[in-house]
Amino acid sequence: MAEACAAWATPGRDARLLFGGTDLTVGLRHGHLTTDVVIDLKRVADLAADIGPSKGMLRVSAGTTMSALAAYLDREGLFAALRDAANVVGSIQIRNRATLAGNICNASPAADTVPVLVALGSAVEISGPHGSREVAVEEFILGNRQIDLRRGEIVSAVLIPLARQNCGCAFDRITRRRGVDLATANLCCLIDERSEVVFAFGSVAPRPLVVRSIDPVLTDPSATAHDREKTVAALCAIAAPISDVRASAGYRTAMLGVMAERALASARRRQQVGGTHG
Amino acid sequence: MAKDPHQDAGPTGIAKTALKLTVNGQPIATKVSPSVSLLDFLRDDLKLKGAKECCSVGECGACTVMIDGQSVNACLVLAAESDGTNVETVESLSAGGQLSTVQHSFLKCGAVQCGFCIPGMVMSAEALHRAVPDATEAEVREALSGNLCRCGGYNRMFDAMRDAAGDVPHCETTAPVTGKSVGADISRLGGIERVAGTQEFLADIDLDGMAHLKLVSIDVGRARINRIETEKAMAVPGVIDVITAADLPHPMPHFGPTYRDRPVMAVDETRYHGEPVAAVVAETKEIAAYAAGLVGVDYDALPAVCTVKQALASDAHPVQDPALRPGDPMAETNILKERHFGWGDIDAVTPDLVIENTYTFPMVTHFAIEPHGFIVDATDDAMTIWSPVQHPFLLQKIMAQLFDLPLSAVRVLAPDPGGGFGGKQIPKFEPLVAFASRRTGRPCRLVLTLEETFQAVRRAAAEVTVRSGFSKEGDILFHDINSNYLIGAYADVAERVTTKGNYLGCGPYRVPNARIAARAILSNTTPSCAFRGFGTPQVNWAVEGQINAAARQLGIDGFEIRMRNVADKGDEIVQGDVPADGHWLQSVQKAADLLGWDTPKQPGRGRGIAVGIKAGATTGLSNSTVRLLADGSILVFAGTSDMGQGARTIFAQLAADALGAPYDRVKVIMGDTSIVPFDLQTSASRSTVFMGTAITRACEDIHAQVIQLASDTLGLPEDTIQVDDGNIILPSGSEPIFDFVQKKLGAWNGELIGNGRMRKPTDKDHPLGGSPAFFEFNCTAFEVEVDQATGEVLIHNHVTVGDVGKALNPLQVEMQDEGAAIMGLGHSLYEQVLLDDDGRIRNLGAIDYRIVTTKDMPEKMMTGMIENADGPGPKGSKGVSEGAILCTAPALAAAVADATGVVIKDLPLTPERVWWALQEQGAVAAQ
Repeated sequence: MAEACAAWATPGRDARLLFGGTDLTVGLRHGHLTTDVVIDLKRVADLAADIGPSKGMLRVSAGTTMSALAAYLDREGLFAALRDAANVVGSIQIRNRATLAGNICNASPAADTVPVLVALGSAVEISGPHGSREVAVEEFILGNRQIDLRRGEIVSAVLIPLARQNCGCAFDRITRRRGVDLATANLCCLIDERSEVVFAFGSVAPRPLVVRSIDPVLTDPSATAHDREKTVAALCAIAAPISDVRASAGYRTAMLGVMAERALASARRRQQVGGTHG
Repeated sequence: MAKDPHQDAGPTGIAKTALKLTVNGQPIATKVSPSVSLLDFLRDDLKLKGAKECCSVGECGACTVMIDGQSVNACLVLAAESDGTNVETVESLSAGGQLSTVQHSFLKCGAVQCGFCIPGMVMSAEALHRAVPDATEAEVREALSGNLCRCGGYNRMFDAMRDAAGDVPHCETTAPVTGKSVGADISRLGGIERVAGTQEFLADIDLDGMAHLKLVSIDVGRARINRIETEKAMAVPGVIDVITAADLPHPMPHFGPTYRDRPVMAVDETRYHGEPVAAVVAETKEIAAYAAGLVGVDYDALPAVCTVKQALASDAHPVQDPALRPGDPMAETNILKERHFGWGDIDAVTPDLVIENTYTFPMVTHFAIEPHGFIVDATDDAMTIWSPVQHPFLLQKIMAQLFDLPLSAVRVLAPDPGGGFGGKQIPKFEPLVAFASRRTGRPCRLVLTLEETFQAVRRAAAEVTVRSGFSKEGDILFHDINSNYLIGAYADVAERVTTKGNYLGCGPYRVPNARIAARAILSNTTPSCAFRGFGTPQVNWAVEGQINAAARQLGIDGFEIRMRNVADKGDEIVQGDVPADGHWLQSVQKAADLLGWDTPKQPGRGRGIAVGIKAGATTGLSNSTVRLLADGSILVFAGTSDMGQGARTIFAQLAADALGAPYDRVKVIMGDTSIVPFDLQTSASRSTVFMGTAITRACEDIHAQVIQLASDTLGLPEDTIQVDDGNIILPSGSEPIFDFVQKKLGAWNGELIGNGRMRKPTDKDHPLGGSPAFFEFNCTAFEVEVDQATGEVLIHNHVTVGDVGKALNPLQVEMQDEGAAIMGLGHSLYEQVLLDDDGRIRNLGAIDYRIVTTKDMPEKMMTGMIENADGPGPKGSKGVSEGAILCTAPALAAAVADATGVVIKDLPLTPERVWWALQEQGAVAAQ
């Protein structure tokens, strides 16, 4: 680990960290990225694939692939929303390589796991020459392809709080086709034990966008659909998506509302079922 | 001076790193450049060519291998990353000489067409099969969704996985067979090689001393080239040559199938995004690619015309130099050609209902999973060209003209294309590679990236305005069609596409009055070319849209209005031309029956139906030679290219039956112009009819010789001997020719050689140069549901029925039909090449150009066929490969309209487009 940090900290040259490489190699091929050195972290023992509870958190080591993560969550009945998000990242071939930490560090606004991690209040554990630190995923991603990682620092794990009970959480996304696709827009809805509703939006801003509401209309089964839709629409209004090759801003905006409604309903169902983390 | 390609440091001066791994059970210790992908390492260093390269961004799955038991895209893994791992490639699955369960099932269930995607597909299937031996269809769809098959073999792959799981598949092939093979589901010739990953495609060919080309292009739609700086690239170790227009003959040679308008390399001006301005020749493809990035091009971007409106504007610049079109009154405009067809008098009728609408069809690209590739070994007085080309003899002719060589000095070797779909018909970069080979004295190879193939081939976009008149009972009274086809910067075969599509613009109907105007319009875009369906899907999208609109407005069911108007056998469609050649109403009825048109619909569901016809080949010559060898085995020589349609299999079936031989005793030889006799082309679904007939006649030629042989060896008069249905009938009894010649041909100490040909001569007075040899008729029907909140279309059922004459191999007919249908779903739902204002393609490559995956497949897809043995081909067959793409879009749009009430006239029906239409409808309703 120290060796990897030192290699990465070497001044005077460009370097890129590689784990699964499913984004990095594409970037290098297309010339979006150039670098002198690629540091492959797969042999760093401290980062090897490992998932398990640790100090009230689910600790997902940096070497954990999407496939391994989804299989673990499925087996343990944990974080269904995160499992769903991990299961739509690329194809199986991609998920067998791509890592959760890499999905965060790539900092694509369309990353599918990021809204879920943000809604769940997850953090990244960072190791570096000057010790380690933890940063909330929401803060860690500074913008499109920009993260709060200094030279010599390596994300060693993703930490997802386990302590919260009676939550319901759901992920949804819009794509151009049903098969493997990048999200046109995606979001996560979390209802916590105090009935606070958190929406985390993806693909609609350079960095994760989060809104919180304790408006009871969102969780009250007796509230009218009309009132709920109005509240959801108001929460979604903070998003200001762009138009690009995948969709227009107008469609993205409208889909946030649709997905928010659907994810809210599904989060409520999961909350009612009980258990941990819907 | 050539540099050592195996030097320790690569072009960037980075040292190679040590690599130890296990590949297919073999330990390997070597050195590798840190920038080399695992895919290149496997293919180039270890010569394991099973894994294929297509998209290079992890979207297509053609390169799928397993690392430590997990499937991965080898293109996204650096070779250095695989240090210490256990890598399995497709070659390992049949290492013991036995196909794996999954490979066997793929072959058995007809999951293999061109075969380029298959090694990767099989690896994904193998990974699933190991993990979940009894996988459900949902699991199969998920597991294979990272592997693209453009031939559209998905349904058969689902079937194969059922078979591998021990369930009974819906359909299975017979192989090998004795007795009659025509009409049976015979296993594909070349299928074993394709599932095993040993089929050799163009990019798998290594020649001694071969150099590698990389094209240099600029990132804008149109530009004036001021200066090209080649010194830096030339200085890279391993670079052999950097070729610009200045290095090629003056004036620059131009080529093309009809219009000789395409320069070997752009001079002074580029006319479309991606048109090359230079080419680097180097010892390796990595060096060529690296050095290409160092070629400096000083240019000024110029305004580009990229839409019909821009191209037709009075102040639009001419895309092509008017001097290229001497004597053409429209040479100063961007209208390459304008055609007028029609009959009756549209102004003389008084319809109860007149409808006028404009429909648009997007640019779409072929996306064959095998990117285009070319190898040329040229000297001053001869050349050999390797190209996965659909028309080897056209390539030979064009190259002979261009280089002033006799045809006999130009040899074309055409490896089976990994998907063609019309995109591999006409020469593209063969001339440039030939010049490179002449300059360097080396065999030269150019394999395009998928992005470059997007810039090399596409279908014409279209804007079609139709005014149609109907009686209140629903009779079509007239169509007035105005078609603008947006072709690219060079003509390729696009003018023919426009003409042929619009000639039959009124579709398979009895239309008493018609006026059709069709324009092929040049633009600063990728040269459009042939593409499955030729020019029909565009105009048919519009005209079928009109029929559906009339049905809605008149309150007539979409099925009823077609039963009322569709031509039946013998009915005139284009006045004065050959009539309908099939009982087309039977197909319409069958499609409706298969869909359950008359059954109650679930709430929220919609149904739609549409028809289409495409003209088969109008002219041309196909020759075949068949050699019956002394042991009864057979060699068939055919100039057809087998690009997945299965021509080789059909030909073997025909020859086997004609000569009474088991199917597995026939070998079909293709793809070498120095060995096989002339065939015009592999297009227009013509091969079964034209080449099939030529082969049948060659066998008849042998029949006459068999009679002579029998007469000679048995001392019988010839008139006492007959040949029928593969048997020789002697006074003493009958036996298969196969058996007979084994006994008797030895005495002649030789073989029997038959020649046959089918030629349809040119009719100079016909607008197409001749009447269609047959029509491809199809009826497609859908049942769909639309998510009204998102605009997503869910297809519950997709039915297509073709009028095939006679299915020589029913499974292959179904595969072709499904393939066309799935490709049609692509342009109906997702596919479009998007340009920015400067003519740049915004969605180059696999990430943002969406084609159908396993997960996008309809819940149910069914193919039906009508067989009345009324075609001109062997046993009454017709061509079948394009029908199901002709009317996918209008049938689907009709179903969407039925489900939602929204009528969409622009393709594709993306979720976003459907959603906007629903919003508009909601806004109108609210007023």
